[in-house]
Amino acid sequence: MRREISLGLLYSVTGTYGAMGRDSLDGALLALDEINGDETCPIRFKVISKDPGGNIDSYHRMSEEILREDGCRHVVGTITSIGRKEVIPIIEKHDALLWYALPYEGFEACENVIYTGAAPNQHILPLFAHLIPTYGNRVYLTGSNYIWGWETNRIARELVLATEGEILGERYLPMDDCDVARMIAEIEQKRPDFILNNLIGSSSYAFLQAYHALGKRDSDFLPAKRPVVSCDLTECELSDIGFEAAAGHLCSAVYFEGVDNPLNTQFRAKVSEKFGSARPLSAFLVGSYAAIHMLAEAIADAGTDEIEPVKKALFSKTFETAQGPITIDAKTNHAALIPHLGRINDHGGFDIVLAAEAPVAADPYLVDFDPQVFADQVARDTEAGARHLRLVK
Amino acid sequence: MIRFRTPNFRGRHAVILHRKSNGTEQLARQLERLGMTVEICWPALPTENLTADVIFFDADNGFDGLFPWSPGEAPMPLIALLGSELPGRLEWALAQGIASHVVKPVQSSGVFSALVIAASNFDSAKAQRAELQDLKARLGRRPEVIKAVVNLMQLGLLDEDAAFGCLRSAAMDERITIEEFCSRLDGDRLNQLILHQARGKWRVEE
Repeated sequence: MRREISLGLLYSVTGTYGAMGRDSLDGALLALDEINGDETCPIRFKVISKDPGGNIDSYHRMSEEILREDGCRHVVGTITSIGRKEVIPIIEKHDALLWYALPYEGFEACENVIYTGAAPNQHILPLFAHLIPTYGNRVYLTGSNYIWGWETNRIARELVLATEGEILGERYLPMDDCDVARMIAEIEQKRPDFILNNLIGSSSYAFLQAYHALGKRDSDFLPAKRPVVSCDLTECELSDIGFEAAAGHLCSAVYFEGVDNPLNTQFRAKVSEKFGSARPLSAFLVGSYAAIHMLAEAIADAGTDEIEPVKKALFSKTFETAQGPITIDAKTNHAALIPHLGRINDHGGFDIVLAAEAPVAADPYLVDFDPQVFADQVARDTEAGARHLRLVK
Repeated sequence: MIRFRTPNFRGRHAVILHRKSNGTEQLARQLERLGMTVEICWPALPTENLTADVIFFDADNGFDGLFPWSPGEAPMPLIALLGSELPGRLEWALAQGIASHVVKPVQSSGVFSALVIAASNFDSAKAQRAELQDLKARLGRRPEVIKAVVNLMQLGLLDEDAAFGCLRSAAMDERITIEEFCSRLDGDRLNQLILHQARGKWRVEE
């Protein structure tokens, strides 16, 4: 007799960042199909899925419903940091566990959250360690007007200043605002070595389209010379931007579709079977898929869905996933992950430029980060033309 | 110079002055995540070799004499662990000169910000105390300045503003405060000053 476990899914699949939510939800549902269809698995999930629609007021109410009325002890979801911060107090009140699988800005280590997405030392640090020696340290910062953009840009500013570089501008847009003309005009005038894009959803798409138009007008702004770089742009949004407009820009992620391992080959086949062969794979799709499998394994190992035994089971093993081996650090509740750098190609995917040789432990509070060491390394790499991450292609 | 402003507590030592509980353990875990070392003790602080960079203390059960220094004189930032909101308890915690607080039950969030706020408040309180002491000392020597101004007015036949200006310029030339300068002003130096003032120079030559 298989034990039934209630599981909450909380993804905004509508609203301005709906594409990220739909990709995350699809990854979760694919994993749930597999687990529920596997008669040898000792548990099956009863899924309660809710869509806050990107409306911040809905997160509180919906997470409360999932935990109180549906009796779930585990919730997988939230996309933005605002959503996660809104849900955490409810999760703590019910002593439940939130599984958060997206890159975020760090400075958090809640005992009731498992973080399987990248922290700053796994996304922006390796990204800048590569970009500054390659393109220079005169940088322009953009973002949507909330904590992800503010804090990631703050870290970027400190990294750039540590190398005695210069921030040429820092501009924000409200979520869903596509009025990017002022940013583009400023970039055209100041000619930064590269642009960090922390805009999300439709603002980000509008920005990349406008930058593409600028590049057509003036070849000094082609991505080969002055790329736009991001830490949260994945395969799932490239069609919204337009393949031509997106091509050539760079992103940091813990997974790209082209990751070369047998489990990723299997994952690609499963996604093709369920969603069709045209469906791109992304860090969001694979991230929620892996999180659900880790959760199921940990519950099966623990023999209960109570959170302390589940955490103990989770911390004690290495999970082989399509994105590589994943361990969760008992000290921080964060996953060790492999940072990758990808360049967007012209057919809706990424070419992997670099990848770290081994998983990097998360350092959510940047405790072990030393700006002097970073500056010295950047100076050495600038001189040598070397690369921080292992060159894979 | 590397200007990195992200607060970092790596290698710092925290003492938690609170009976052992789930809350203190959670607090200790969070501090260790921030790269700190932690010691939990109650009710007495280790008086010998107290190397704490910060002290978290139980404000609900704290009592006079808990700390081996006078209230407000702590040599490191104090962070109150507050469960009760009774005015009497808050008054006692404030009297200890707390730099910030954490609400009980302790959760993972709130500890980092309490540390950052405490470090900032402690540093600015220290700077303000030093400035206050300096100003008080200078205020205490004001009569010497008045005496010097009066002497210079009488002997040098100057008006009040000119006499004060003369003293201030001479003090600035020697890179000392006007109070310090006036306290050293004996008869000879005063005569020299008048002489130089008459020649259009303020400097007192040794």
